[in-house]
Amino acid sequence: MAAPETLRDEVARDLAPARPLARPAVRSLALVPIALAILVGVPALHRLRYDLLAIGAFRAFGLSAIQAAVGLAIVALALRESIPGRALSKPVLAGAFAAGILVPLGVLAITMQVSLLGPLPGEWFEVGAACFRTSAFAAVPAIAVAGVLVARAFPLRPGVAGALYGLGCGLMADAGLRLYCEMSAPRHVLLAHGGAIAAATVAGMILASVVEKKRRRA
Amino acid sequence: MGPDEAEGELGALMAGYLDGRLDAFDGLYAALAGRLRGYLTSLCRDRALADDLLQDTFMQIHRSRRTYEPGRPVTPWAFAIARHVYLMNRRSTGRRVRLEDGVAAETTRRDVPRDAAAALADGDALRRALDAVPAEQREAVVLHHVEGWSFAEIAARLGIRVNAAKTRAFRGMKKMREHLAKGPR
Repeated sequence: MAAPETLRDEVARDLAPARPLARPAVRSLALVPIALAILVGVPALHRLRYDLLAIGAFRAFGLSAIQAAVGLAIVALALRESIPGRALSKPVLAGAFAAGILVPLGVLAITMQVSLLGPLPGEWFEVGAACFRTSAFAAVPAIAVAGVLVARAFPLRPGVAGALYGLGCGLMADAGLRLYCEMSAPRHVLLAHGGAIAAATVAGMILASVVEKKRRRA
Repeated sequence: MGPDEAEGELGALMAGYLDGRLDAFDGLYAALAGRLRGYLTSLCRDRALADDLLQDTFMQIHRSRRTYEPGRPVTPWAFAIARHVYLMNRRSTGRRVRLEDGVAAETTRRDVPRDAAAALADGDALRRALDAVPAEQREAVVLHHVEGWSFAEIAARLGIRVNAAKTRAFRGMKKMREHLAKGPR
């Protein structure tokens, strides 16, 4: 079966050699410098958490590094999802989103064992809003880079790919935030920190969907 | 030629295509067009529309050729793009699908291997029976029994478990048998 002339001509007009994209896991490494910048930058721009000595190096830096690595792994899954024919199965998707919820909760539980600080009465909203803002801003560059990486592929379910990279970037941003914010009161962490992760997830989903819609129209 | 050999050949054609060789594109088209057309026909049940979607699919394959990962099977990649093109078309046009007379016979006679064609058959009864099967199950039936995909391949492409793929194909076949047993109405 031969290709129709019109199709053949159109392909021939734009048949420059094309270099295949690297594997998703390799491409996700482009976000390592951003993850490191968040982990170093957030406490550098503000300060290290006051209870650093009380919780120790592992509970502070170790857990943040683990959370950032999980975030990076979820971004790698988003990059895999954006390759045709490599869509993630429902169990893998469920696992990724479960990890995005359970990892910060686990980090909170471990940290709470030795330090349980909360905002002063009357300051819950102010402190929560500050944490939400810091985390959301920290996630922006990571979401932008992940968005470009996904858009360079061909996400067939852009909403899914976007939600995944938004979640991954939200986790990375929160990993940096918790090196600055010493509050471990569950209400604060769930609403402010968890809210920022959820917002990053939604932002990624919207961004990927909009980009894909524009690309289809182009 | 076994499935691995065929995939190896497709992979070599894809490599040539990525290098910018038009003859490799021709080879890829010759190897995939028939199966993709059959698949698209099974989805939209409109021969003329399937032809249009086939061209769109190859244009989309061309635009996103760099997303093919060398060393991986070409078929699931190409079929995923074809499915996406079909879904986008369905979404944008909202067109009611219809099945023209002789679609299955025409598709199998021209494009698909004879043993696959036998599975699809060209009778109205079989076509109607396939038509009576829900879309998800029909897709699994066509991919497995007509295109010859393994359940693992179907599961990977549809993003479902292997058991779910088996169940869909089994239930689809069961519904077809029931429909055929009732005879023409």
